[in-house]
Amino acid sequence: MSVTRKNLLISGAVFGAALAGASGAAVAADQELKIGVVGVLSGPAAQWGLALKGAVEFVAAEANRDGLIKIGGAPYRVSVVAIDSKYTAEGAAAAANTLAGQGVKFIIGAIGSPEMTGVKPIAKRNSMLVLGNSYAKDAIGPQWPLVFHVGPGPSGWADPIIKIAKQKFGMKSVMMVAPNDQGGTDIATVDADAYRKNGIPATEEYYQRGTTNFAPTVTRIMNAKPEAVDLASSPPGDAGIIVKQLRQAGFEGPIGRLGGPGYSEISRVAGGDAVLKDFYWYEPVVIDEKSQQIADDFKKLLGAERPENNLFFQWVSGARMVVKAIAQAGSISDTEKVAAALRALPVTDPNLGSGHWIGKEFFGVNQELSFPFGIGLVTGGQLQPIVRVEAATGK
Amino acid sequence: MQGIVATSLIGISLGAQYALLALGFTLIFGILGVVNFAHGGFYVLGGYIAYSAVSFLGMPYALAVIAAALGTAALGYLFERFLLDRLIDDHLATLMLTLGLYMMISSGILITFGPQSPAFAFPLTGVLRAWGFYVPIENLVVLAVCVAGIVSIYALIYRTDFGRSLRALADDRAVATAQGLRPKVLFPTAFALATGLAGLTGALVTPILSLAPHVGDPVLATSFLIVILGGLGSVSGATVAAFLVGMVEAFSAVYLGGSKGALALFVLVLVMLVVKPSGLFGQRVRGA
Repeated sequence: MSVTRKNLLISGAVFGAALAGASGAAVAADQELKIGVVGVLSGPAAQWGLALKGAVEFVAAEANRDGLIKIGGAPYRVSVVAIDSKYTAEGAAAAANTLAGQGVKFIIGAIGSPEMTGVKPIAKRNSMLVLGNSYAKDAIGPQWPLVFHVGPGPSGWADPIIKIAKQKFGMKSVMMVAPNDQGGTDIATVDADAYRKNGIPATEEYYQRGTTNFAPTVTRIMNAKPEAVDLASSPPGDAGIIVKQLRQAGFEGPIGRLGGPGYSEISRVAGGDAVLKDFYWYEPVVIDEKSQQIADDFKKLLGAERPENNLFFQWVSGARMVVKAIAQAGSISDTEKVAAALRALPVTDPNLGSGHWIGKEFFGVNQELSFPFGIGLVTGGQLQPIVRVEAATGK
Repeated sequence: MQGIVATSLIGISLGAQYALLALGFTLIFGILGVVNFAHGGFYVLGGYIAYSAVSFLGMPYALAVIAAALGTAALGYLFERFLLDRLIDDHLATLMLTLGLYMMISSGILITFGPQSPAFAFPLTGVLRAWGFYVPIENLVVLAVCVAGIVSIYALIYRTDFGRSLRALADDRAVATAQGLRPKVLFPTAFALATGLAGLTGALVTPILSLAPHVGDPVLATSFLIVILGGLGSVSGATVAAFLVGMVEAFSAVYLGGSKGALALFVLVLVMLVVKPSGLFGQRVRGA
């Protein structure tokens, strides 16, 4: 094709139109704040990931309803991009990479320790702000200035739960049972230390993640004759089978699960509260009228029931804090500015109450949200009202 | 001594469940030459069919188990007849097809039932206790059905014309076909038999453990491990290896702990592959 003036004009027009389209698209894309969710959406721990995803979608819907995000006076629509991390470090790293590729600067999640291990280096490399969970000993730290903790790990809440369990059940020894990866061992060791500090000798027993029949593990537990068993961060599906098989083996002692919520599924898999018999666990929130309001609003905004797992409420409070910090910082790209705004925000939620920033003593940084939490109890096969405990401080 | 007997009981119980699963897996490889990556999917599907039949249709559990076996067998038949059969001699294609089917089954279940374990309990509860031992009644029932299933499969394969036809096809398809045997009829039937076994095991075992969309993953891994240990395609090998794996899993987990126990199993397979690459009862590597 020869280069003529006509061809040049046509090419110029096409090129100009393409540029205009592209810049128009860029303008349209700039009006959107994308929040990434990295969480386990399949497998035995999916309940946790669905709670996370539901919570962030709810907070995004709230922000859109209230027109919360305005940058330079222009309203921004909040959208959520959720990716299944499959509860693995590599799955979470891949998810974080995908989000980075889409220009996402804020990640809510991940949940488990292996996932957070996968997310953090990618987030650091791409200056992403992360509000994660993970009960790992290095979940947050000075080396990860943009990584925040949605709630305390066992270092924040194990002690008061153990005190109440000891008072109720009077156990004199405990065996920790958890999966044999970082998601299991980090929590079980912190829990075990907390039991020891309360004068209860603790031993640790780990199983291969993916185990479906726990009869051999249960035999091993029975041979060790502990007075209590604590399932730490075993996924709810696993915990339910272990409880059932422990009771079948004749284990009469109390069973704890100081690793996160999941009572409903554990009870369902085990065969009901009568099988749980004496059971205690950590509840991230106390469901009262105010927190129930979140569930009602969820239904109104998203037209569905809120996710079953109570971690949902904790994620709602955490995601609200991040969105508030973005609004205050007035930037959807400068994550350091948003992190500074987040650190300066008072820890308060309209539904869950007030709390504190903690973590300095255990992690070396005060980037851990601490709200009031609850202790769940089943005694003699009867579900008891959740015991409310004030937000952990100074840990 | 008491500990050894108790652990042996666990090993036998695990072994019987594994045998029923591995028999189907090895049948498909032995007769069709296909490594069925959808085997775990049929196990989960069996569990969900039984759960749906009990929970939504109000069927008695025993009928629900039969429905699960028949349902998974029917799906297996259709899959082999209309999809797999077209590419039966292309190993890579059959691998991708079965893997794809597994993903479709697990995703379908995830979308339909959600990721959480539903309440699906075995109808019989209670535990028999004597001389310091305990056996849950549900485990005894499952063990009895598994043993009956294994015996029936043996009778079918070694005592009937249908079984002889399948073995002839496995031995030499060209000669068997020249003798008048029809792979177009026998292959889907064999596939249905194997997937029906996986569905039956799923319907039996998931109510005593747990039912969730992902529970087929370890089933596939264990079945694979067993048939490699027993010798790919060998029915006797799969049965012996299943009980061996059950015993090793039980004893190593009880006496060494969960992590080392899992390692022991893989060390056993590794040693077997070095010493006898064709497996316990495998005679030759199947030609491509």
